[in-house]
Amino acid sequence: MRSTNVDEQTLYTAQAGWLKSAVDILQGAGVDVMAPVETEPGVVELATVKSSEAVTLDYQNVRLPLKRLFFPITEVVLEFKSQPEGDVDVQSEPLVSETEVVVLGARPCGVAALEALDKVFHWDYDDVRYSARRARTTLISFACTRPDAQCFCTSVGGSPHNTTQSDVLVYLEENGQALMQVCSDKGAKFIEQLRDVVKPAPAGTQPPAPPEVKEKFDPAKAKAWLDEHFESDFWTEVALKCLGCGACSYLCPTCHCFDIVDEANWQAGQRRRNWDCCSHPMFTRHASGHNPRPDQASRCRQRIMHKFKYFPERFGQVACVGCGRCVRACCVGQNLVSILTDIESKAKGGDKADVASTLN
Amino acid sequence: MSQALSTNQTGTLIPLDYMVLKMRIVSITDETVDTKTFRLEFCDAQQGEAFEFHAGQFGLYSVFGAGEATFCIASSPTETGYIECSVKRTGKVTNELHQCNVGDIIGFRGPYGNWFPIDEMQGKNLLFVAGGIGLAPLNSLIRNCLDLRDQFKDIAILYGARSVDDLVYKERLENWQQRKDVKTLYTVDPGGETPQWQGEVGFVPTVLTKMKPASQNTIVVVCGPPIMIKFVLAALVELGFSRASVYTTLENRMKCGVGKCGRCNVGNLYVCKDGPIFRCSDLEALPNEF
Repeated sequence: MRSTNVDEQTLYTAQAGWLKSAVDILQGAGVDVMAPVETEPGVVELATVKSSEAVTLDYQNVRLPLKRLFFPITEVVLEFKSQPEGDVDVQSEPLVSETEVVVLGARPCGVAALEALDKVFHWDYDDVRYSARRARTTLISFACTRPDAQCFCTSVGGSPHNTTQSDVLVYLEENGQALMQVCSDKGAKFIEQLRDVVKPAPAGTQPPAPPEVKEKFDPAKAKAWLDEHFESDFWTEVALKCLGCGACSYLCPTCHCFDIVDEANWQAGQRRRNWDCCSHPMFTRHASGHNPRPDQASRCRQRIMHKFKYFPERFGQVACVGCGRCVRACCVGQNLVSILTDIESKAKGGDKADVASTLN
Repeated sequence: MSQALSTNQTGTLIPLDYMVLKMRIVSITDETVDTKTFRLEFCDAQQGEAFEFHAGQFGLYSVFGAGEATFCIASSPTETGYIECSVKRTGKVTNELHQCNVGDIIGFRGPYGNWFPIDEMQGKNLLFVAGGIGLAPLNSLIRNCLDLRDQFKDIAILYGARSVDDLVYKERLENWQQRKDVKTLYTVDPGGETPQWQGEVGFVPTVLTKMKPASQNTIVVVCGPPIMIKFVLAALVELGFSRASVYTTLENRMKCGVGKCGRCNVGNLYVCKDGPIFRCSDLEALPNEF
């Protein structure tokens, strides 16, 4: 893969032991530091750390997508309580704490996904909870060194060294040193805080070439087929496997559908916003019983159409960063990449592929 | 209680951050065996004065503890100080709403969505076609148009329900029938009539075909069950109407109402923001998912 030249002015070298210093300095400044931690054997998540000893650098990616820091799995939006005389006290849950957060060690794909989420949560009506969390957080990404067979970031415009939405991209080196690329004002502030362990990179320094991630499909070609094939037997074929469990959506860094529900007893309760998923039958079911997406085929179609056709039409980019979580997690071996490569080969082969699939 | 309000693109006041405005139920009308109309007043009079909406917009109404549900605002923007919503008992929230009494407090956020093109309707003939509870969103528009009667030419209302018992807004139906400046035609499905029934018997599309409305300079607004809309549209095309002169509302399931939660998506549209009102000619381009 070809690496593009990076402006030297944005590059800094960090001496060995910089991570410990960074955690200590940020802690001292009252910042909430989040970093990859092995929460159970083989599972790494971003978690709040008090010292660098808890941090693990031996991870392919974190299990849960980064979006949960800005759009939590579940959150209270309102609290209500019965009052005398039939009145109700309704309180808006305080937005988020003002404490600054620095994430050390997000992966570039998860961070890049925020570009899609920003568009959804900011268009027309600004989602104040999401925005407040975004504003208080600085994202220090660690360049991806170990893409696996399920990764396909390069197919959807990304790269193991993608800087999209990152404040700093860190290239870790074997000897404990690091090369840091500043990508934003927040990133510059982080470098300034670390001035004792970081210095401008010598002239001529360039980041290493990214590890290879094979390009597996072309979203533009897939979209051309999707444009013409809302009705196709292909969707039934895809859906036959699908259990509709929603694991793919919940683990997807760009999926953002949610539900709003009340949890209460007779006196008091909370209104919560929870992650939801378009694979579930109840997602679109009307009160009358009418369901615009009545079967798994229409729901599987929605997932693919939304990511590769509707979202690009609405917001100008695909709603996928190629992290591969959906492929790794699916318990029936459903594979987004093979769905898209199938679609692309249909696009190339015209209607022939359709005929072949109905004959099978 | 802090009530942050912000102005959205359309210039209307909407509560921020899923916060609700508290409203008191001031009257409840039984429309049918399973449909009630609630008249609601803002608990905070200042909010009531600041509140503005257009016919066709909707809100999210909540019974605290049961959750939120989406209904159109069924009263007219020309009536101030209160709003009305008509609710059919079908699920968790609507069941709880039906248990509510006058004086009870419920939550409301809105108004959301676009509205009927009332400016475009000026100087035109208007034909309203509604089925069942579909009269609720049209009720808002019809009342609005009747309050501004001299801005429109002929106004005709075709309304049908499964049976005489299923007709909603009976008192208003009678008022409209008595007006000399409105043509009304009410119908019930075959078998739904009573010995006293004076109106038509037949399905709405059939009655519409018999009614033979003129298509010139006319805007049609259709609201009702999806199957009725489909056949009404076919009948209108047969009568020479262009799909571009026909409007309807899509009632998809919604949660946020502000173009975030993804539930109401049809193709690349958000029904809650780009709708709920659509020109029928525009619906043809959408995937058949409504």
